[in-house]
Amino acid sequence: MLTALILADSRFPGGGHVHSGGLEEAAARGLVHDEPTLESFLRGRLLTAGLLAAGFAAAAARGGDLGRLDAELDARTPSPAQREASRAQGRGMLRAARRAWPHAQLDLLPPNPHQPLVIGLLVGEPYEAALTCAYLAVSGPASAAVRLLGLDPFGVNAIVAALPVQDVASRACKELPALGSPALDLLAEAHVRREGVRLFGS
Amino acid sequence: MKASARLVVELDSHGNSVVRVLRSQSPLTLVPHRRVGPVALVHLVSSVTAPLGGDTLSLTVEVGPGASLDLRGVAATLLLPGSSGALSSSVVRFVVSGSVRYLPEPTVVTSRANHTAVVEAELDGHAELRTREVLVLGRSGEKSGSLSTLVRATRCGKPLLHQQLVVGDPAVDASPAGLAGRRVVGTELVLDAVDRAEGGGEWWSVVPLAAGGTLATALGDDVVTVTRVLDAI
Repeated sequence: MLTALILADSRFPGGGHVHSGGLEEAAARGLVHDEPTLESFLRGRLLTAGLLAAGFAAAAARGGDLGRLDAELDARTPSPAQREASRAQGRGMLRAARRAWPHAQLDLLPPNPHQPLVIGLLVGEPYEAALTCAYLAVSGPASAAVRLLGLDPFGVNAIVAALPVQDVASRACKELPALGSPALDLLAEAHVRREGVRLFGS
Repeated sequence: MKASARLVVELDSHGNSVVRVLRSQSPLTLVPHRRVGPVALVHLVSSVTAPLGGDTLSLTVEVGPGASLDLRGVAATLLLPGSSGALSSSVVRFVVSGSVRYLPEPTVVTSRANHTAVVEAELDGHAELRTREVLVLGRSGEKSGSLSTLVRATRCGKPLLHQQLVVGDPAVDASPAGLAGRRVVGTELVLDAVDRAEGGGEWWSVVPLAAGGTLATALGDDVVTVTRVLDAI
């Protein structure tokens, strides 16, 4: 449980703060501009990409073959920008984890692993791993929204607290999900192509 | 209604792709074209209004080494509810050693429909597959019913693409992280050894998959805009 809390903490130095999960692109286009549009974005993200990531964290925690899970997650992530964002966050998390938990069996992970597999291996319990992953799928974009749009942090926090994160984590433990999100993929690809100043890596 | 159909295409000694097995079962009616040549052309005709709630449809397609199949739809598919409110389902399974183009017409998810569609493709080392999916959320001015589509493609057992798309949940359909409120979503999957240029615009992209192949995705408010993107790759 403590590992899950540390990984989900925004102060965890895994580099997650440089990723907005598509929020920066959505904000730049005016698709997200206030609390209701942020709620819609976060709910859609949680129920698609969040469920997918949580399912793989749970499967990794259950002791699944990590090489096979890595290939299956690649097949479920058609957008190269999304694959790179997931692996970049996996790398960042792994770097911090090697110091924090030197006895964890991190060598079981494939090179350059997707982040949900790192979370699953470190947390070690399927539901907690899924919950950590599902929460991170919305907490990062939510704090990006505060920074980019100047939204009220109390209001944004209330939105996150009301999202069905636990339901998604429970569903994620039942089967390996494959839910895609076309709009998130297209936002991620457009973000990479965007010229000019970007605050976030994804 | 329960129906299963099967189509087998092989290369003959003259280098022509010929239909070896053609087993239709209404509504899955397979109509082969008479021309003989390197590519066999077969139309998939829905010979009864289908699918309705409660229907279970299954089509298996095998294409042998060196053979090519062009499998086309002739009309849009309207997903309709049945009187019982039961789920309808369709499964199309490809086992490909040669080459397949599967180009059905758009699928319209009418209000109260509840359908699951699965496309599975097993490819061997040099097999090629092109498949398209265009979904329309409801007829004009109509709310969408529920649809889950799943595409899983493997090459020599390794996963290339595994994507589920669920439409009909208003919270996700409207979300900028779901379908961004667009009525039409289209994808074109091309599994071959050709390197294609990546590209994209506001609501479309053409991207390479991790384990080989290309996927084009487009969101739009009408079928014409979406299929224009898919036609371009």
